[in-house]
Formats: sequence, C-alpha cells, structure tokens
Amino acid sequence: MFNYALRRILQMIPLLLVISLVIFTLTALQPGDPVDQLVLGNSQITPEDIARLRAAYGLDQPISLRYWFWLTHALQGDFGWSRTFSAPAAAYVFEERLPNTLLLTLPALVLSTLIAVPLGIFSAVRQYSILDYVLTFFSFVSFSAPIFWIGAMALWLFAIYVPQLTGGLISLPPGGLGSPDLAPDAGFWAVVADKLRYLILPLSILMLREIAVILRFLRASMLEVLNQDFVRTARAKGLSNRNVLYRHALRNAVLPIVTLLGLSIPGLFGGAVLTETVFSWPGMGRVIVEALTSKDFNVVMVALTFISVLTVVFQLLTDLAYAAVDPRIRYN
Amino acid sequence: MKNRKNWLAVSALLVGSTLLNTAQAGQANNSLVIGTSQEPPNINDPWRTNNLVIATEITWFMEAHLIGKDDNGDLYPEIATRVPSLANGDYKIVKDAKGNVIRNSVTFSIRKDAKWSDGTAITPKDFQFWLKVEQDDRVPVPTREPWDKAKITVQDADTFTITFDPPYLFADQITSAVGLNPAPSAAMEKAWSAFDAATKNLDSKTGAKQITDEWNKFIAQFTTSRGLPKVVSGPFKPTSWRAGNSLVLTRNPNYWITPKGGADKYLQTVQYRFIADTNTLKVNMLSGQLDALSYVGLTFDQAIEAQRSERGKYKTYFVPGATWEHVDIANAGARAQSLGLTDKRVRQALLYSIDRDALVKALFQGKQPVSNTWVSPIGKLYKKDAKDYNFDAAKAKALFAAAGWKPGPDGILAKDGKKMSLNFATTAGNKLRERVQQILQAQWKAVGVDVNIQNFPSTVVFSNDFAPRSAEGKWDLFMYAWSNDPSVERGDLWASQFVPSKDNAYAGQNYPNFKDADYDKLWNDAKTEFDLSARVKLFDKMQAIWTDEVPSLPLYFRANPYTKVPGLVNYTYTAYSLYPSWNAAQMGWASRGAAETYPQK
Repeated sequence: MFNYALRRILQMIPLLLVISLVIFTLTALQPGDPVDQLVLGNSQITPEDIARLRAAYGLDQPISLRYWFWLTHALQGDFGWSRTFSAPAAAYVFEERLPNTLLLTLPALVLSTLIAVPLGIFSAVRQYSILDYVLTFFSFVSFSAPIFWIGAMALWLFAIYVPQLTGGLISLPPGGLGSPDLAPDAGFWAVVADKLRYLILPLSILMLREIAVILRFLRASMLEVLNQDFVRTARAKGLSNRNVLYRHALRNAVLPIVTLLGLSIPGLFGGAVLTETVFSWPGMGRVIVEALTSKDFNVVMVALTFISVLTVVFQLLTDLAYAAVDPRIRYN
Repeated sequence: MKNRKNWLAVSALLVGSTLLNTAQAGQANNSLVIGTSQEPPNINDPWRTNNLVIATEITWFMEAHLIGKDDNGDLYPEIATRVPSLANGDYKIVKDAKGNVIRNSVTFSIRKDAKWSDGTAITPKDFQFWLKVEQDDRVPVPTREPWDKAKITVQDADTFTITFDPPYLFADQITSAVGLNPAPSAAMEKAWSAFDAATKNLDSKTGAKQITDEWNKFIAQFTTSRGLPKVVSGPFKPTSWRAGNSLVLTRNPNYWITPKGGADKYLQTVQYRFIADTNTLKVNMLSGQLDALSYVGLTFDQAIEAQRSERGKYKTYFVPGATWEHVDIANAGARAQSLGLTDKRVRQALLYSIDRDALVKALFQGKQPVSNTWVSPIGKLYKKDAKDYNFDAAKAKALFAAAGWKPGPDGILAKDGKKMSLNFATTAGNKLRERVQQILQAQWKAVGVDVNIQNFPSTVVFSNDFAPRSAEGKWDLFMYAWSNDPSVERGDLWASQFVPSKDNAYAGQNYPNFKDADYDKLWNDAKTEFDLSARVKLFDKMQAIWTDEVPSLPLYFRANPYTKVPGLVNYTYTAYSLYPSWNAAQMGWASRGAAETYPQK
C-alpha cells in the first residue's frame, strides 16, 4: 500500500506540471489582455504607452518565458499580484474567497450526504413505493431545473413575496455574505444568526442538486446489489433484514458513492459558480470567472492549479479508500 | 433534559432571528445603501491606475477636488477658493508673435479650511506629490497626457500655479476627470520612498514587471480592502470593506463644506453593496434592501421592467448621457474595397436603409435619442443642423445603384460578381445590442444587403486582435459605444493620426480607418483653438465632413438608468457631473432635514 501511494505521489509531479502548463497556455492564448482594457476608452493613449504597459504587466514576453517566470516564482510561494483584486493572488484566493466557499459547500455536501444516503437506501429497498416515486420525481426535478432559475425563483419568493405577505415580518436577504451594518460588537449568536440568514437560500439550492445526485446513485447501486446472489444467499441463511442490508448490501453498494464523494471534494473548493453568482456569494467559483473575464492570469493560475492539485490528491485518496471499504481490493 | 431545553431555546432563537427581517435600507439612521453590479479593485487611487467607472464613482465620496463640475456643467470650487478664469486672472494664455498660443497656466489658491481627514491642512505639496508620481516613468498610469510636460510652481503656502508647455486645451477646467487629484503626501511619503529605494536601480525594460509589482504593493497600502485609505479629503471616509460583499463609508467631520442646515441633517453613512448578477441586484432593489442604484447598475431593459413595478416604492430615472452607440464601417483594406465600403455612397446608403427613429421608439420607448454625429447634443460643440439621414429606402437603393450595386436574382446586391455580404460584429451577450443588430439586419436585407452576424465576447472584440483590425478584414460592421465628457471633446476619434496599424502597435481608436485631409486640418486647428466660439465653428465643419463621409453609422446616445427611493435628495447626475457621488456632501433624506439643491434633470 505504501509503495503504491508513493508511486502515485511521484506520478503526480509531472502530471501537475503538465496541467499547470496547459492552464497557463490556454489562459494566455485567449484573445485580449489586461492592457486592452486600459486602452479602451482612452483616446490619448500612444503606442509608447501601450508598449510601456505591456512591459509593466510582463505581457511583452513570449508565453514560454512567462510560464517559466510564473513556475519558478510559484515554487517559491510567490503567485504574483492580482490586478483585478489589488492583492497578492494567493492570499486573496485563500484568505478572502476560499473560506466563503467552504462555508457554503462543505455543509452542503455533509448535509446532503446525511439526508440522501438513508433516502437512497429507503428508495431502493421500497422500490415502486409511493415514497420511491416521490423521491424519484424530486430527483429529476432537482436535476433538470437550472440552478440560476431555481435560485432566482427562491430569491423572489423569500425576499419579495413572503415579506409582502407577512408585512415584512418574515424575509430572507436577497443574496450577500452578511449584513454590512451588523454592529462590530454584536454578540456571537447575533453573528451566527446573521450568517444563517444569508446562508439559508444558497445552501438549500446547492443541497437540492447534491441530494438528487447522491440519492440516484445510491438507489441504483443498492438495487443492483440487492438482486445479486450473495444477498439472496444471506437472506436464505436466515440473516436479519438489517444485517443483510447494512453488513452485506450497503458495503458493496457504497463503492460508487465513495467515488462520487471523492471526486466531489475538490469541487467543494472550486466553488459553485451559478449559486455564488445568483446569491452574490463571494466564493471561489465567482473569483475564477471574474479573473478569467478580466484576464487576471495570476488568480486564474492560483485557483485552477489548487483545484488540480486537490483533484489529483483526492483521486489517490479515493483509490486508497476503496481498499478500506472493499476487502476484495488490495494495492501491492 | 435541561441541556436539551437550552439547545432547543438557542435553536428556536436562531431560526426566529434568521427568518425575521432585521436589516433594511433606509433613512432611519440617516444612511444610504447603494447597490452596484461591480466591485472596484481599489478606491481613492489619486493616479487612477485602473480606469473603472465604479472606482471613480466610489472614490468621489472620499476625494475632494480643486474644482468640480455640477449637473449643469458649471464649474465650482471645492479645495480651491475660486474657479480660474481669464476674467479673474487665474487662467493665463501666452501667445507668440503670430498669435499662436504657446503655453497656458492656471493658478489655484487652497482654502484655509481645506483639510485631510486627519485634520492636517491640504497644501500645494500634496499636488506637487501627485504630479511627481504621475510623471514618474515607473508608475503604470494608462497615459500621462496632459501631465507629462506640466510644471507646478508654488507661490506661497496656499497658492500654486500649474503651467502647460505646450499648452493644454482644457487647462481652465481641470476637474478630477482630467487629473491633479490631491495625494496625501505626508501619509504616503514614507511608503513612496520605500518604493523608490526598491526600484530606482532596476532597468525600466528588463525590470518593468518587478517595478509594477513594487508599485502595486505601494498603492495597495492606501486603496484596497486590505489597506483602506489612511486619510481622505472628501466628505466621507472608508470604515470597512468586505471583499466581494460591501463597503461602508462614514461622514468625515473634517470636510470643510457644510451643506445648508448643517452636516448632521445629511447622510452620515453610505454603504455600497456589490451584487454582480444584475437580476439579483434587481431583486435587492425590489425587496427594499437598497435605497439607490449606482451608475453601474441595471441594464437598460431591466430598468424598463423595474419602472413598471415601481408602485411608489422607488423611481426609475433614465439620465441622458454622452455614451454614443454606433456601427463602425470598415473604411479601408482590400475586403472593404471589394465590398464597396470605401465608397461614401455605399456608406450613406447603409445609413438611409435603417429606420433609427422607429428602432429607438420600439426598443427604448424613445428614452435614447437618435444621434446624427458623434458629438453629444448636450455639448457646446454639437452641430444642431447636422445632416439627418432619415430612413429612405428609395434613396438608399438609388445610392447603391449609383455605386454600381444592383440586386441579383436572389435579391442581394452585387457588383462585378461580388455579393454585398457584410460581417456584422458586436459584444456577444449584450441583449440590447443583439436585438438592435437583428432589427438592422432585417432592414438591410430589405434593400438587398446580406448581413452575417458574428458576435464575440467583449474581451475578444475589444482586444488588440479584433477592433483595431478592420483594414485586415476582421469585421465590416462593428457596433459598440464610446463615452466621453462632452465638455472636453477634441474629435480625436476621427483623426488619421489615430488610425491603428501594425506600425503603431494598433494604438489609436479610429477603428474604421477614416482618413480625410480636410478633417485632419480642422482637427489640428481645433486642438490649439482656445476660443470656444471659434472652436464651435471648426467643429461645425468637422461634423459636416463626417456626416457627409459617414465613416460610422450613428445610432443613438445612451441614457443611463438608475433608481432611488422617494425622499432621497441630491443623489443626481448628468452627462457633465458623470456620477451621483459628485455631490456626496449634500446627499440626504428630506425627512431628516436635507435640503434639495439639485433635482434629477
């Protein structure tokens, strides 16, 4: 197991280098650069100004040299300056945006898993029951309705219509991270309540999709396992239903869910672009889109490289987790 | 059991306080909540190293200026004791023996009570510091014009003269839009010295990026969410900035201009909320979380929808602006030649073929007026009798025919076997432009012009690889907008000097490649014509040439929409004052005693 893990870790190094090169090259090859945006609307700008600004932003160098410059500095922990956010790129991404994203995505995944797993098992065990139909309907609706639409509807409902119905007594804020006018000396519970007010809608919308995904996967996996011979044998041997379900069927059915969760975790750090956008939640998803549209290469590189590293690491951890949950899998 | 009860109580409290409405915008605490769809990277940067509108709008809450421009376009003194003019002797023009102006100068006296927010006096040294940094090659300002050759001479503790040699056409109206913003030299000097020490030995070419990094570190200490401005000169000062969420400003007690009735009757706090998605911004406004929208807010069509749902809760305004929507025509290059676009009769015919009056009525309820030239009708240089190409399909067809373009069997115009099939680009995703584009496409089809829509994201169309390359055949028609302060109009857009090409690294914004010797001559004369009435005459001729040549199809001048709730006074702007923050000190609620001095025009 140790040798296997070590070998995979060593394989990650060239893989990550290639990924970073591809990200850098694709980003740099996009038409337009930050200087174009400074030139726009400035009729006084001269060719000398443009040359000066390109040099100032390091854009006068070929892509290969720029990548080398970025890589050598990144390896020393210097990820450059974010022109769009006026801060060191890494500090801005990890200190300002990542915590917001985790505050939203981590509870979403944990709560979704806690809700979806029992529902998925129930749905499979009671196949074709009314609840199974209800859950299947819910899953398809959650899957098919676009997040930006559900999100917008939720905002209209809870920020406009419900307040109108209740005379403004009950309402949820229409997006944002928290009340800007919350007093600095507000107590702990006031801060928590304020944060919850802002978190409820984006968290709920994000969970709808997560629950639907996990529920459908687990239901399908459980149904497949429940129809296999070893389950029939276990039942024939007189094992209790609980034993059959949780000791035999679930352990086998959970493998696809381990894969799903393993691959979902890097996604947690990447944020949820649509949810963050609709609910004005300043997280990783939005920062990546904003950086890409404003050609802020340093932020794009920090964020995407970070997500790449997490993806590769969690793929390894997922593979190692197989061995833990499935005794048939051994790494030599 | 007791523990469980405690938990239940806390949970109930949380759920209750979560659902119950606690925060509302409004006048209860004499504050103002403004929503905007864009967050600036930095604020209060005296050198404006980013050229974002939202950065300038917010900065004006915190930054006083020597002189400002009000909603009527009139200048007023703020830091200075009076507005310089030839009449009061503070504005001087020096001419040579031939009568040509060779330099000009303006003298400003600083008010005795003009202070930074820390209570120290604003002095000529703060403007000298601004100019020193502006002129420093290491600082990545977009352009140094007109400051590269300017010089400040200090007369006494409060008075200084700034001299432009060569002369600067608009030296008598140096507002913040032009520059010379106060920079707190005492607060910044130490950090500037550190920047200077770190970069003085670096080569300006090989070390350019390192120099810029050092500059970023310097300016970020005074302008960002992680380094809020330390001292400010304007009526408000920043107190907190949560990146991606909000910025809070509070009244600066050391600001010297007291509005009618006393500062306590006017806004004490201003809060900006950054809401990137304009639909969410609209929901915030409808739900009463916002008192007003920023200049950078809803799109035009969203504002039209918002106007329908006002119900007395807020009012929607459409402020006539100087942002000019138009369709550039490729005037040069082999492709333009083959499509007849180098022939002015074809360009005129293209303009006669489109019904702009009907278009602005249908799409904009007439709120955005048709334009006949690039000069804003608000400006003094506008030619009122500029040729109006009213929709006339017959005239268009006749002009096409005169230029040799006749309908083929499929109805499409053709000449020498070449069909008139034009590539029409604009910014993808801009719904209004895309709608305008479809209408124009249908109207041109009716006269036999085939138009292929080829849109790209704004970052692509405004990149060096697209907009400046009409002569290389990248586009035949290109729809976008230019924005300019009408009082400092120079006509640069159409001077042949600003035609982008490979030789000048595609600098210059004469994207259609319009070249006219007579226009150039008039433009050159206007550049050094310091007498406004004479300049008006020159611009009259320039616009006559332009409307005859039609290098670009003028569509309409945009109106900028915003909303505000009833009772909020002096939150106004026009194409002159540019952003509502020009009058930050006088903003307030009528119910709290604020006096309205500037109703929205």
